[in-house]
Amino acid sequence: MTAAIHRGRTPVVLDLETAIATIRPGAVVGIGGAVTAGHPMALVRALARSGVRDLTVVAPTAGLDVDVLVAAGCVRTVVSSYVGAEGAAPLGPAFRAAAEAGEIEVRDVDEAHCILGLRAAAQGLPFLPWLGGVGTALPELNPELVEFEDPISGRRLLAVPALRLDVALVFAEAADAYGNVQFVGTGHADPLMASAAKRVIVQVERVVENEEIRRSPGATRFWPDATVVRAPWGTHPYSSAVITADEEHLRGYARVAAKAARGERAELDAYLERYVAGPQSHEDYLEAIGIRRIAELLI
Amino acid sequence: MPDYTTDELFAVLLARDLHPEDRMIQVGANMPMARAAAVMANMTRLPDARVCVGLAIDNLADGRDAPPVYPFVFDSRGLRRGEAYMYQQWVFDDMSRPDVFFVGGLQVDRRGNVNLLGIPGEDGGWQLRGPGAVALPTMSTYCRGYYIVMPRHAPRTFVEEVACITALGDVRRRAEFGFPGGGPRLVLSPLGVFDFDEDGDMRVRSLHEGVTAEQAQEATGFDLRIDGDVPVTPSPTEEELLLLRERVDRGGLLRNG
Repeated sequence: MTAAIHRGRTPVVLDLETAIATIRPGAVVGIGGAVTAGHPMALVRALARSGVRDLTVVAPTAGLDVDVLVAAGCVRTVVSSYVGAEGAAPLGPAFRAAAEAGEIEVRDVDEAHCILGLRAAAQGLPFLPWLGGVGTALPELNPELVEFEDPISGRRLLAVPALRLDVALVFAEAADAYGNVQFVGTGHADPLMASAAKRVIVQVERVVENEEIRRSPGATRFWPDATVVRAPWGTHPYSSAVITADEEHLRGYARVAAKAARGERAELDAYLERYVAGPQSHEDYLEAIGIRRIAELLI
Repeated sequence: MPDYTTDELFAVLLARDLHPEDRMIQVGANMPMARAAAVMANMTRLPDARVCVGLAIDNLADGRDAPPVYPFVFDSRGLRRGEAYMYQQWVFDDMSRPDVFFVGGLQVDRRGNVNLLGIPGEDGGWQLRGPGAVALPTMSTYCRGYYIVMPRHAPRTFVEEVACITALGDVRRRAEFGFPGGGPRLVLSPLGVFDFDEDGDMRVRSLHEGVTAEQAQEATGFDLRIDGDVPVTPSPTEEELLLLRERVDRGGLLRNG
């Protein structure tokens, strides 16, 4: 054993494409954020662009991030309590069409089931019990939710199975080069999702100095197998602490995705080419959106 | 024609009905009339309540301004307001506290069950895919009470039995399972206000101005319990509309759709 002071802690920052290239077909992928806020869209778009297939996507309350992955043909199974963008698209059009046609498997869960399933995975448990969902159609629609008799009270409960993730894709405001992650705002269920995953890829607005992290250690979360990817304004078209959601963009996507569901796919394909498959990097994507638009969305 | 919209009427009726013991009022996504109701009640009748709209939890007593209305409830600008945040990963850890919330649905049935999941197809897919469970199963199980807001009243939305129970309202089955929550309080529709009798069947509580009992029955896919002369829903007062429009719904979301 050497007693010399070590110099050179190992950085965990990777570029977008390299980080995403590790995700294999059939992987179970958690996607962070909630409805129209905080989705790691640079990671999601790179995932769609990689052409990976047969993913199982886990998202407690998804926006159209999951819808885009379905439209791009990457998804076999969706585990979520919601896929949509409120008034702009009460239900994701590609998700809806694929679910109605039986082209994807939908494992319907309550929002709390998704949280509990992630927690069970994080705690190494096979399941956690829950009362919400007993007496509903959920155990019938999703056979993974199993009703059982509580050995203490004799009441009926629901066993919510662990949602073990191969990889969690989450968004945070900042991280240092060593994977010390700081969220601004609530972080939704992202930290829990990361704990439920074998590997974590964190998309951040800023990669900051370790000294900046040390100014507020109470805000830090870390996962020893995390990779950090820098992608400024990378939640677009969803909100972060620096930009609002791009309602016009979301409505535009919802319109062409709904058209595709009626059999006219040309405009959806053009959208995917322009914003997902075409841009070869996050910077290319920002150019496609345009600096004027980004400036309008800055908070 | 009344000089208010159905959404404005919903907001006023909900604000009037929220109970004095409702201390934590949760508003979900895409329910602007519920947001307005919670804010109005908090400003006037229920100063000690807390209102959770989207990501922030606020209190609007003592003349505080209503939080701005954004296109989406999870707008991050909402984080600049409020006394506390709603953390999705912890919000279900304290299920003894959320008192009341609001449910929309594709279908509601005679027993007060709500369907937001959709209508399954015969071969595994969906004939009609709905938005999903969101948090309806959990919130309807635990909350002190909840309101069902139906934007359309027709035989296909007010049905004998919903296709997929998402929120279990049936008072008997709730008792069987030992649910802690109080179940559905009211159903609001463009035609009237409905509650449930001792046995748990839906009944007419009042009908909105100009709506007859026959019209309500005709628009309902099951035998609606109608007891004697049905009262007319008391219209929003000028004061209520003024508060709603000038303090709560300044952008006119409920007025203009």
